[in-house]
Amino acid sequence: MESNRRHFFESSGLGLGAMAFASLLKSEAASAQASTSPRPLAHYAPKAKRLIYLFQSGGPPQMDLFDYKPGLQGLAGQEVPKSIYPDERKTTMTSAQTAFPVVPSQFKFKRHGQSGMPITEIMPWLGSCSDEICLIKSLRTTAINHDPAITSMLTGAAIPGRPSMGAWLSYGLGAESANLPTFVAMSSRGTGGGGQPLYDRLWGSGFLPSVHQGVKFRNNGAPVLDIYDPNGVTTSMRRSMLDGLSSLNKKHFLRYGDPEIQTRIAQYELAFRMQTSVPELVDFQRERASVLDSYGPDVHKQGTYAHNCLMARRLVERGVRFVQLFHQGWDTHGDLPKRLRRQCQDTDRPTAALLKDLKSLGLLDDTLVVWGGEFGRTVYGQGKITSETYGRDHHPSCFSVWLAGGGIRGGLVYGKTDDYSVNVAENPVEIHDLHATLLHLLGFDHEKLIYPFQGRDFRLTDVSGTVKHDWLT
Amino acid sequence: MTFFHRPLIGFLERGFRSQVDDLFRALRFMLARWMHGLVFFWGLSQGLAAGPVHFTRDVRPLLSDFCFECHGPDDRTRKAELRLDSETALKKVASPEAGRRRSILLERLLSDDPEEQMPPASFRRKLSDEQRNQIVEWIESGAEVSRHWAFDPPERPEVPAVETRFVVRNEIDAFVLDRLGESGLEPSPEADWETLMRRVSLDLLGLPMEAETWRRFKQLGPSSYAQLVDRLLDDPRFGEHQAYSWLEASRYADTDGYQNDRYRYQSAWRDWVIKAFNDNLPYDQFLIDQIAGDLLPGATLTQQIATGFSRNHRINSEDGSIPAEWHVENVADRVDTVGTVFMGLTLGCARCHDHKYDPISQRDYFALFAYFNSIAEWGVGPNNGNSPPFVRVPASWPELSPEENHFSEPDPVKLTRARKEAGNGLRRPQAGGTNTVMVLHELATPRETYLLQRGQYDLPDKGQRIEPDTPVSLGLRLNDLPKNRLGLAQWLTHPENPLTSRVAVNRFWQQIFGIGLVKTSENFGAQGEYPVNPALLDWLAVRFVESGWNVKGLLRHLVMSATYRQRSIMTAPHRLLDPENRLLARGARYRLPAPVLRDQALAVGGLLVDQRYGRSAKPYMPPKIWKAFSNNVYQRDTGANLYRRSLYTYWRRTIPPPTMVNFNAANREVCSVRLERTNTPLQALTLMNNVTFVEAARALAANAFLAHADLESQLRLMVSRCLGRFPDDAELAILKQVYGAALMEFDDEPSRVEALLRVGDSASVGGEGRAKLAALTMVATTVMNMDEFISKQ
Repeated sequence: MESNRRHFFESSGLGLGAMAFASLLKSEAASAQASTSPRPLAHYAPKAKRLIYLFQSGGPPQMDLFDYKPGLQGLAGQEVPKSIYPDERKTTMTSAQTAFPVVPSQFKFKRHGQSGMPITEIMPWLGSCSDEICLIKSLRTTAINHDPAITSMLTGAAIPGRPSMGAWLSYGLGAESANLPTFVAMSSRGTGGGGQPLYDRLWGSGFLPSVHQGVKFRNNGAPVLDIYDPNGVTTSMRRSMLDGLSSLNKKHFLRYGDPEIQTRIAQYELAFRMQTSVPELVDFQRERASVLDSYGPDVHKQGTYAHNCLMARRLVERGVRFVQLFHQGWDTHGDLPKRLRRQCQDTDRPTAALLKDLKSLGLLDDTLVVWGGEFGRTVYGQGKITSETYGRDHHPSCFSVWLAGGGIRGGLVYGKTDDYSVNVAENPVEIHDLHATLLHLLGFDHEKLIYPFQGRDFRLTDVSGTVKHDWLT
Repeated sequence: MTFFHRPLIGFLERGFRSQVDDLFRALRFMLARWMHGLVFFWGLSQGLAAGPVHFTRDVRPLLSDFCFECHGPDDRTRKAELRLDSETALKKVASPEAGRRRSILLERLLSDDPEEQMPPASFRRKLSDEQRNQIVEWIESGAEVSRHWAFDPPERPEVPAVETRFVVRNEIDAFVLDRLGESGLEPSPEADWETLMRRVSLDLLGLPMEAETWRRFKQLGPSSYAQLVDRLLDDPRFGEHQAYSWLEASRYADTDGYQNDRYRYQSAWRDWVIKAFNDNLPYDQFLIDQIAGDLLPGATLTQQIATGFSRNHRINSEDGSIPAEWHVENVADRVDTVGTVFMGLTLGCARCHDHKYDPISQRDYFALFAYFNSIAEWGVGPNNGNSPPFVRVPASWPELSPEENHFSEPDPVKLTRARKEAGNGLRRPQAGGTNTVMVLHELATPRETYLLQRGQYDLPDKGQRIEPDTPVSLGLRLNDLPKNRLGLAQWLTHPENPLTSRVAVNRFWQQIFGIGLVKTSENFGAQGEYPVNPALLDWLAVRFVESGWNVKGLLRHLVMSATYRQRSIMTAPHRLLDPENRLLARGARYRLPAPVLRDQALAVGGLLVDQRYGRSAKPYMPPKIWKAFSNNVYQRDTGANLYRRSLYTYWRRTIPPPTMVNFNAANREVCSVRLERTNTPLQALTLMNNVTFVEAARALAANAFLAHADLESQLRLMVSRCLGRFPDDAELAILKQVYGAALMEFDDEPSRVEALLRVGDSASVGGEGRAKLAALTMVATTVMNMDEFISKQ
């Protein structure tokens, strides 16, 4: 019986079997595509179609960059009152210090744009974009250490196991590009060295189907693992190998009838297309010189922040929904002034260039850009304090982030902190509020973007989160 | 019955002479069935249910999904004082005796008024009309209630009598046939011998058969199947394969898992698992040793090391951490893991509030927490090295002499403070070196356990001191058990425990058939799936306990069944009626799991190094895999360690091996008992281009090249190694084309030959005809990317 069937298919040429197979293969390929790009689940028309998250890993010091506190100069060296900063909220890294003296910022601030937004002198390029950005000074978290804090920022929960924000977006938005992933993560390290580690879970899919996990572009060598053929293998050899493979798999499908085989055939073809599209993506030769210049000289060096910023633009242009950049090196426990300058030198110009580049291409209207880290830093000094140098410990109770692009009210400064930049004085923002607002801009009701797991409906914002309409146009 | 079946049976018997015609017939037949009032499609999507409404299977899951959030076990969030999760409460509102309350319930269910209807319009999910009708039908037919199926102990069901025209090799087949009876499908014939040999070898050993064994059994034929199975069960590589999924369930890893992800040395525990499977340690003892081996009277060092299971959780050692906070996380992880792997319950839900769906109160949760709360540990780890308590592992491990195998008292925690002068307030414990393993050990004076409000470490409810206890409403109150982990282990392995045996057999079933009888193998609670074949599950569970929890015996029973031996060809009726193969009218067919894919490639290339136990190996990884975004450097091994089985691969939790994760290996952050199986382009890239797979292809080609001078023999050898069968003419023709095209390009440019033949560390074959060898390598990689090769079928 079995051999009859095989014989029928093999000899039928253009017979029914072959035709049925061809059409099946077509629709299966389409459904393979569909399985990687589910129908968008959006709840209403989005203001933004994609998101670039410029994550500043380590905890940038808010009072040295955005949270302007001229009044601290007069308090320099005085003990931060325990009523403002209780001992139990300090990390064990500084909890045994004998003193907690106020250390004002060493940096001057400049007012920029129509709103007169104060921004540190060491971010002059960003200053020129102040009318595009909405600065939030009152974000806060409950985590005092890098791991739980960064995990909270990017997955909505401090304890690992939840899907990352990008995975949620991939799940909700679906794919736009057939040849590139929906969610790409990239990382770079400040030239000052060091930096806190990152982990796969930050772009992981948690309990969502793993197709939603971010593809981490590598910062050395081939950007996508195993994207290049082995040494000695040419593209035409690969093509003839794939043709042979495809015939063998089709033959096997005719015998076994398992649609997974058809999906596999389609995925090999997709892999082959990726092998062409990725080299094109990373080749900057056709960028205009003025654009390359705007990102600064590092743009040509793979693994730098500048390189990744331009790559982010190229990715969103090609239909990638979510680009998650990480820049390491903001964890300034000691020698803060020098290290902070380096961090800003590495990042300020490319960040501004990205905003302007997106704008000139008309992409900023529907691309959301977020800049920020996992927490802020303490107003009290850590370690050695001199007129030249100081350090600051982790600080969860207030920190600054900014948003720009699709649907965001540029030039707005939202929230206030107390005189010490320790606690939120006005308009507190929780991480889930930030997430709820980002999802809102992308077209989702954060309470309805849910996924059932272990019997419960989960969402990025867990059981809280309020959309901050004040930030929106 | 036969009337229903005929069109579909015809479908099977006549083959595919006219697909379209048969499709019409099948559709017509289903339409007819539909018109008979059986909601057929709906039934298929609901665990392939059929027949009248059944409370535990059909209604309870709906109540759980749509009602329990406000009318469930959690006292604090219950609305309108209405409870729908307990049998007594449900009777009070839904039974014919409930009178007015029953009519209100029906009115609210059927109402169109957004103010009135239940579930309310604002609820994030909508009850479909069919679902609503089911609940109504259940109420109208008398609202019979019963306890959630998984909380009553299994009783041995009668083995059903089935039609004699089908092959019944053991009881499993009778249950499967009985279940199939309602579906319109019939069992498939036995797979051909070559397919079956490969299947059973991959399932029991996780490796293909060696050429010699394959030749011998191929000659012996299908009648030697039992002999083959016994041989595989006795092979020491069996324990390695079985261990792999237990390592994932037990979130075993070589690093601590947070922030800098410091190194730990836990491989002695991994080796205990391998040996336990090879020695066929009864499952109840397997459980007891891991949960409470240290508390057994006359505990041995081996039993102590088994308790490393509950130390496999992540440990935070980030500077600045608060030890009390992370101590709670460690204990919670132990409870959650025991809940998932042994009880099939999502206990973690009850950490912050009473469970929303299952009868586990927050108090129950902390009573379980109390069992694991008094370990002589510290909440934060040392920087690198094992966290106390740990014991020294003799060099002879795991083959200890009786003199070596005695209990070892771990040193108590000794705390020191680094960088005190810089104001650092964190105290850290001493670190255990490479010759130690982390174990459980009780404090002389137990810690006090309190209910933690919202599950937070700094919000203990000092009014509620909690003693260790098993969950009250799961029943099985055994008052004479000790109030310690040993008592918990004894409760779990008590023959009357409703969950342990079912959860265990279901997981083994999942391993062999690809999908559990309860698909949600991690959740047997109200939100879990109702078993597709409850009688079979219970029969297996009861038999498992009665057999003395005999794991090899259970696996043998599964693979000896006719159900297992069916061919895995998927016909149109299969695709139409049971695409997921829940009813098992065919053999299982699916992509191999990550470790088997790599091990199989190494095996067919003849590169696999069969070296058991010991420190983890560091095979090839992409350049700078760690350095790229962490502060450590991956120093890959050379020589034998490149080619050991995947269960020995070094597992760094925050940056797990990408080739493994690409094929859905668990990331080992938390326990994981059910894996996805995706099919992605990145997998294709790995199999085509990754150094491990290219090197294996090169090695396979070299073996064929040395063994035979003519191309056809070379191709036959390669295909038979990979697929356990010889190629047919059409396949040979395709492979020759691939070979020819490649050879032309290699002849054109000899530098390509050398480039390809240098991939990987293993030596390359010298001498004449290296262009041919390179072309043969392209053929090998073609075969090693075939769906048949990367699937079990």
